[in-house]
Amino acid sequence: MVFNCLAFVVFFALVLGLHSLPLPWTAKKINLLIASYIFYAAWNPPFVILLWISTVVDWYAARGLVEAKRQSARHAWMLLSVIANLGMLGYFKYGQFLLDNFTTLMAALGVNYQPAHYDIVLPVGISFYTFATLSYTLDVYLRRALPARNFLDYALFVTFFPHLVAGPIMRPTELVPQFAKPRRASADQLRFGLALMTLGLFNKIVLADSFLSTAAERIYDSDKLPGALDAWIGTLAFSGQIFCDFAGYSTTAIGAALCLGFAMPDNFRFPYAAVGFSDFWRRWHITLSSWLRDYLYIPLGGNRHGAARTYAALMGTMLLGGLWHGANWTFVAWGGLHGLYLAVERVLRAKFAGYRPGPLMFVALGLLTYTLINLTWVFFRAKTFGKAWDVLRGMLGLNAEAKPILTTYFIVSVGFIVGSIVLVHWFMRGRTLESVVARAPAFAISAVWALMAFAIVIAQGSGNAFIYFQF
Amino acid sequence: MNDTTAGDEHAIHRRETASDRPGVAQPVPKRPVPVQPWSRIFAGMLVMFALMLGAWEWYWRDFGVTPSIRNTDGLWAIQRRRIDNGEGDATVLLGASRVYFDMQLPVWEKLAGKRPIQLAFEGTTPLGYLEDLAADPKFTGRALVGVAPDVFFTGFAYRGSAAKYTHKESPSQRAGQWLSMRFVEPYFAFYDPDYALATVLRRQPWPDRPGKHAFIDVRKLSQTDAGRNTHMWSKVENDPDYRALARSVWAQDFVPSPDDPPPEKIKEMIKTEIERAAKVVKTLRERGVPVLFVRMPSDGRYLEYENTLFPRAETWDALLAATGAPGIHFQDYPELNQDWNLPEWSHLSQADAERFTAALYGVITRDFWKTPGDAAAAH
Repeated sequence: MVFNCLAFVVFFALVLGLHSLPLPWTAKKINLLIASYIFYAAWNPPFVILLWISTVVDWYAARGLVEAKRQSARHAWMLLSVIANLGMLGYFKYGQFLLDNFTTLMAALGVNYQPAHYDIVLPVGISFYTFATLSYTLDVYLRRALPARNFLDYALFVTFFPHLVAGPIMRPTELVPQFAKPRRASADQLRFGLALMTLGLFNKIVLADSFLSTAAERIYDSDKLPGALDAWIGTLAFSGQIFCDFAGYSTTAIGAALCLGFAMPDNFRFPYAAVGFSDFWRRWHITLSSWLRDYLYIPLGGNRHGAARTYAALMGTMLLGGLWHGANWTFVAWGGLHGLYLAVERVLRAKFAGYRPGPLMFVALGLLTYTLINLTWVFFRAKTFGKAWDVLRGMLGLNAEAKPILTTYFIVSVGFIVGSIVLVHWFMRGRTLESVVARAPAFAISAVWALMAFAIVIAQGSGNAFIYFQF
Repeated sequence: MNDTTAGDEHAIHRRETASDRPGVAQPVPKRPVPVQPWSRIFAGMLVMFALMLGAWEWYWRDFGVTPSIRNTDGLWAIQRRRIDNGEGDATVLLGASRVYFDMQLPVWEKLAGKRPIQLAFEGTTPLGYLEDLAADPKFTGRALVGVAPDVFFTGFAYRGSAAKYTHKESPSQRAGQWLSMRFVEPYFAFYDPDYALATVLRRQPWPDRPGKHAFIDVRKLSQTDAGRNTHMWSKVENDPDYRALARSVWAQDFVPSPDDPPPEKIKEMIKTEIERAAKVVKTLRERGVPVLFVRMPSDGRYLEYENTLFPRAETWDALLAATGAPGIHFQDYPELNQDWNLPEWSHLSQADAERFTAALYGVITRDFWKTPGDAAAAH
């Protein structure tokens, strides 16, 4: 099920209604668990089994870790969890990709290998819930947390529908304690939660789907060569689209959880006002970047074993982070480019350690960061390297024979919306949404909320899946 | 979870995230609510939202719009599933918008005693959906396939994804379609794709970009019911300005443009689609499923354009020869070649669609499918 559909409106109303009834807390948690399985099954019922496998394996792995006496046994339980989760992820997400690459490699070696094509369905959210359950066993293994006291709390942590299919990727220590005692939203939390859901759906349905996606499609999904203006507008449109789509989902998820009385962490912090790439990754998909940092980068040595190992760990983490997004070498290239940016930034920071930019240079560096981020989005959006090179050449003005593709409407609407997003991010870069809302006049909040709700309804979204559902 | 406390005040203005706490167990997040009169804000929002939506609905009703069921892939799926749910021997209507608008299902049902299944889609070649039926062993009925030359012989498929959607439709998508058809679409006139926010903004008079002319998109032309029976919207018939607008949309294609494929490419496309049709008709024939092609009426500048770019001998006649299937061309039958009212040259008015359906049914049962059950004999 997606948040932006009528079925979810009815589903959420029922869940809210049930949660507000005077039932015992355990009964309410069971209701939430069943509702979460229904939420997932509404996409494709048989795949609830995979969710169940991931949940059960890690429950027993964590218990095994705590009860194990020897370090080798602890290692074994940890490996069981890693292999089970990454194995499932590997098969469903990368199975066909690995097979295709193996076939290509064999062909390069002169071996004609033609395997059957398996129509492997990618279970929605598998990249998210496997990482959530992995963080449970890894936190227990690293002795950062104890296992949940009961299976219900743990299963609800894994399956809790607001974050189940597209994050924020939560750690057990963030969510499991919230299930210990009864939680129900106050009237103000319910209203603010609904306001956050409206904001999130506005970002997704109005900005991403209605206005930005079409311009990106006309550049990236057509066989026409783009000129400079079209290539930049198409890429800027995608940069806006992916932010509004993904941050919109996260905001909706946070709002939905708040309506039920639960707190979820921030996942975005105005990333298009980042100055430098380490700043960008502290602002973009925060729960993924911090997960990769805590469970991959730091265990690989982090920055504690000299420069060479630091750069290797950084690059390895970013390449795998790219691959996490999809079974395509273009995603690996996207991750690799970010790894390169981060490595170069480390070198420059070390070389110019005492440098403090003035206000104008600060903004210029921010805009340079945003420009370089857009170059990475080319690889993220293009389905093939061929298309990526076409768009990059267009951005550099090298497609001399290109004809105009986008009409004035797309240029103006994308320019206005993306320009506004960047300005808003700069205004908000050191603030929180709550601090701005706290200072706004009540009437203004009502009016903006009403306008967003009105725009959502008249945008007439068709229930498009969020981009990150495919990850 | 409580409302904002003193400890949460800090979290309102400066909140740490996981990016600020490397290598440690992350704590329960803070999610404070800004201090505001949320009850009044919420009530004010609801009032403003209701006023805005009411104004928007009033505006479109004043324009002459009445509620219509949306022509979604989900609506198509409901009809398509009839074949798999016991109506595999039904008569299926396929084609582009001419079959969709001009074939009136209640008229056919009254004459035949059974309602056909409407699977036509505007701006879309029927071949993709005919191939889907050919791959479904449950389909053992009859196929009436409309041939709109500029769509059929180019393979254009504006709405070509419905079969794939149907086979992969999730429970939540099905539930959403059910809810929308019952609780939203019958009551709100604004809820038509032609009045979606981005669509309305896009068709405003933006200045042309040098070298890139913005084409006018097809506007609302029809009304649809829950059984996918569709007819021309009365505004097209009765409002001269709107009718002229509808004609001007088609007329954009009548003028040569640099983006048009060259004549050799068009010939190649025609050949490809005819071969494709021959293959699928053969598959269906081997299962005992008759296919009957129909060239629905067009007139005025649209007919001239079709005759120029898609001459009959190279398209319609070649199609029937290659497939071995029979066909009804409206110009070959006096009862189908009457002085019909096609307000924008391409689709019949509602009243004439009813008359045409009855006339076509008469021709079909007289010369082709002699009785509703005698499909094999006619083929």
